[in-house]
Amino acid sequence: MAKELSFALYAIKKNIQSSAELRTSFLMNIFGMAINNISFIILWMFFVKSVGVIGGWQAADIIGLQGFICLGFGIIFSAGGGIRKLADYTSSGAFDRFMLSPKNLLLRVATSSFGVSAVGDIVFGILCLIVYAFLIHAGIYQILLIILLTIISMFVFLAAAIIIYSMSFYFIDATSVTTALFELFVTPAIFHGGAFQGVLRFVFTFAIPSLLIGTIPVELVRNFSLNKILLLVILTIFWCIVSLKIFKRAIKNYESSNFMTFGN
Amino acid sequence: MKEIRLALTILKTLIKNHVQYSGRLLVDTLAIVCRCGITLLLYWYVFKTNKGEVNGTSFLLVAWSMFFYFSFMLLRLRDTSKLIMEDIRSGNIEVLFSKPINYIFYRVCWQVGSGIYSFGVITLLTSVVLACLIGIPETMTIGIFVPTLILAFIGGIVLALLIYLVVGLLSFWIEDITPIYWIVDKTIMILGGSYLPIALFPPLMYKISLYSPFGAAYFVTHTVYESWQTVWLKLIGIQWGWIILLGLIVYFMFKSAKQKVSVNGG
Repeated sequence: MAKELSFALYAIKKNIQSSAELRTSFLMNIFGMAINNISFIILWMFFVKSVGVIGGWQAADIIGLQGFICLGFGIIFSAGGGIRKLADYTSSGAFDRFMLSPKNLLLRVATSSFGVSAVGDIVFGILCLIVYAFLIHAGIYQILLIILLTIISMFVFLAAAIIIYSMSFYFIDATSVTTALFELFVTPAIFHGGAFQGVLRFVFTFAIPSLLIGTIPVELVRNFSLNKILLLVILTIFWCIVSLKIFKRAIKNYESSNFMTFGN
Repeated sequence: MKEIRLALTILKTLIKNHVQYSGRLLVDTLAIVCRCGITLLLYWYVFKTNKGEVNGTSFLLVAWSMFFYFSFMLLRLRDTSKLIMEDIRSGNIEVLFSKPINYIFYRVCWQVGSGIYSFGVITLLTSVVLACLIGIPETMTIGIFVPTLILAFIGGIVLALLIYLVVGLLSFWIEDITPIYWIVDKTIMILGGSYLPIALFPPLMYKISLYSPFGAAYFVTHTVYESWQTVWLKLIGIQWGWIILLGLIVYFMFKSAKQKVSVNGG
């Protein structure tokens, strides 16, 4: 296990060094993504201004929501940028080289690429969470809770990403299918959390874990509930186990295209 | 005449391709359900909690306005910039420049052809479903609605293409246009009336959306509101003003970009 992690860290380090070689592009991607993310805050701020408080959600909560989502997204898709490329790997036959590797398959795929723009999401996410903590006058317990919830949110994000991109093994037009499924997962997550009530809230909490990565953590920071946090942890463990099982089952569907890409 | 024949051939080939691979239609349908469906469900709840009215507007108008936005997005005009960047990065631009066709014209036809099938089928089906579920507002039944909607729609396609062409052509000078593309795309998303319908815009933002090319590209979202009957001529005028200006910019950018490429042939 330690060996695998040490390999993953080495791969991530090399990926960062490789991406940073194109310095202008690297920096532009990071700052561009951070500016890009502001658009959602602007949108929901105006929404709150026009519609008023919905479900107890205020402007500060929107900033917190974006913070949790961007940080989770950024960490997973920067260090594990290879997961997003699974559709390309399977359709081009490039997945062969991962199967031949003696390392853990999922770890090897995930760390095969580095998402530069996702670093912009990390920067933006951290800034949002700092502003959020400042706006709600967070005490030390709330700050620790934000850190804990960020980790939980990250694991849910990872599990969802593994499930979605594992679908690459089942469809011919895998890129389009995985993009659509990812949108189905992430679109409700970036929405104003207060508007999710009743059936919608149930569906996007239990059937599709979109609300687990942002909305529920924000509500927990605002109103701490031990039951709710326990439920969140249980759901996170459940989705992690399910994602690993789905990935293992999905790779059995892979048929080598034998494109001679071993060692690339 | 030769250009029209080329455009028709590209459109016909791409439509046939999309009919053959129906999976893409399914994916586009799923995409509109994710984006538009969920947004409408949330707004339905928001309007319900506000006793059916927000900013003097009803859910019916907001729903159709947002539907027009997401339906327009199915044309995938935003992909134009990425395709130009890919052509330049891969060197494919050399091959395309050496052919007896206008590169910009070819890319525009390709882009429209890529989205037209999904747009046509999904818009038709989802508009029927939406009409059955929530009904049609009165503003959509008056005489000038359909002709002005078509005008705003055609103008919107041309303007959106020009905006994304300008961004795409920047690839001749900038190594990676992705960050610029994100910013332009999100500005269009905000000012076009996507997740926040234009009826809920604050006054200043509404003015920016009217007078900027980013908002003008999505004037189709304005057509369902009552104010459209009095301002449609002015808005379409603004739209065509931007088309002329951006058309000139694209013309001069492309002229200058062509000089930066050395075609080695074969």
